[in-house]
Amino acid sequence: MGVTCEEVWREISDYVDHELDAKRRTALEEHFAECRHCAAVLEGTCNVIRLYRDERALALPAGFHDRLQRRLDQRPSLGSEERAHASRRAVLAWALTAAAAVPLSFALFFAKRTSLPQLGHQTPWGSPDSHAVTGLVAVSQEAGDMVFHIPGCSHLHGKPKFLQVEEAIREGYTPCPICIGKYARQKKG
Amino acid sequence: MIRRVLGGDKDSFLDLIQPYQRTVYATMVSMLGSKEDAEDVTQDVLLKALARLHQFRQESAFGTWLIQIAINEARMRRRKLRHGRMLSLTNGHDDDGTYVPKDFEDWREIPSEALERSEMRDALANALALLEEHYRVAFVLRDVNELSITETANVLGITRGAVKTRLRRARLMLRDILLPELQQRGQLKLAFKEARKPWE
Repeated sequence: MGVTCEEVWREISDYVDHELDAKRRTALEEHFAECRHCAAVLEGTCNVIRLYRDERALALPAGFHDRLQRRLDQRPSLGSEERAHASRRAVLAWALTAAAAVPLSFALFFAKRTSLPQLGHQTPWGSPDSHAVTGLVAVSQEAGDMVFHIPGCSHLHGKPKFLQVEEAIREGYTPCPICIGKYARQKKG
Repeated sequence: MIRRVLGGDKDSFLDLIQPYQRTVYATMVSMLGSKEDAEDVTQDVLLKALARLHQFRQESAFGTWLIQIAINEARMRRRKLRHGRMLSLTNGHDDDGTYVPKDFEDWREIPSEALERSEMRDALANALALLEEHYRVAFVLRDVNELSITETANVLGITRGAVKTRLRRARLMLRDILLPELQQRGQLKLAFKEARKPWE
């Protein structure tokens, strides 16, 4: 046999997913033809996937659709609420941005006077304060939540993308109330 | 269809989410454990998706966008339940060592009619619940929800290699958990037995 059973167990999942190159795939197939145990492991693995993929496994509970429909009916009017929500978010975004602008301006003013030469050497992946000073905010590329954060905020999940605060707002992002407030308090203190 | 939903058409919203309801529910079962919590959060997620539909940029598939909302929602729910402890799907320990599958000689195909029986569905849910969470979620995203390995990696924020490691472990462990479970419940009427290893 070209491959050992241990190698097969390590690669059997990749075999099922067609993640092996043709040569390796053939080697495993030759092994399956000769080894009953590994052939049974393959058969069992495929059975597991087939069973769970069936819509009846992990099916929605009975009455799910009725309950969802009821909750949907309780909403005043589809569309209007979303538009009102979007409008409320925009107002909140502008209010919070205005509130954050004062300490940001102070920070920028003092940064220019005291530490501008050092700031030039900082990368966007530097300390949280350096982002705040340059007006950069972070958005998650994975969360899908359209919220921007002061970099370093614990509520920022996934890989961050850095934007200027004005750019983030233009693209429809709204501020994370947690870190904007924290930053404003820090600068006031 | 999204434009119609944003215009206020309720039926279009139900049509839009219909193919993804089970996907979101299965993801929530894998993350929250309890079926009741999973249903509750699934409904919250679907209604939240409606509220945020105007933010959907169509850069990703609608189903993947929904799953990302669902995972964030489950994380928040878990954080509340655990008094602020963060749920991480990326930090679970991936055991890279070789997993030795149990030596069941025969695991013949189970007819799909078996899934009509609630005992069979319970056996599948119980077996899944026995896996560690990071294995369980990777398995559900890839093998139940049929996301690609790359999509699974993107949703979980881990590498493709880590997804493959988790899948390998999850699939082999489920096979080993399910077979005796199904036999005990009388779902498998076949002569399977512990066999001698062919190389011994």
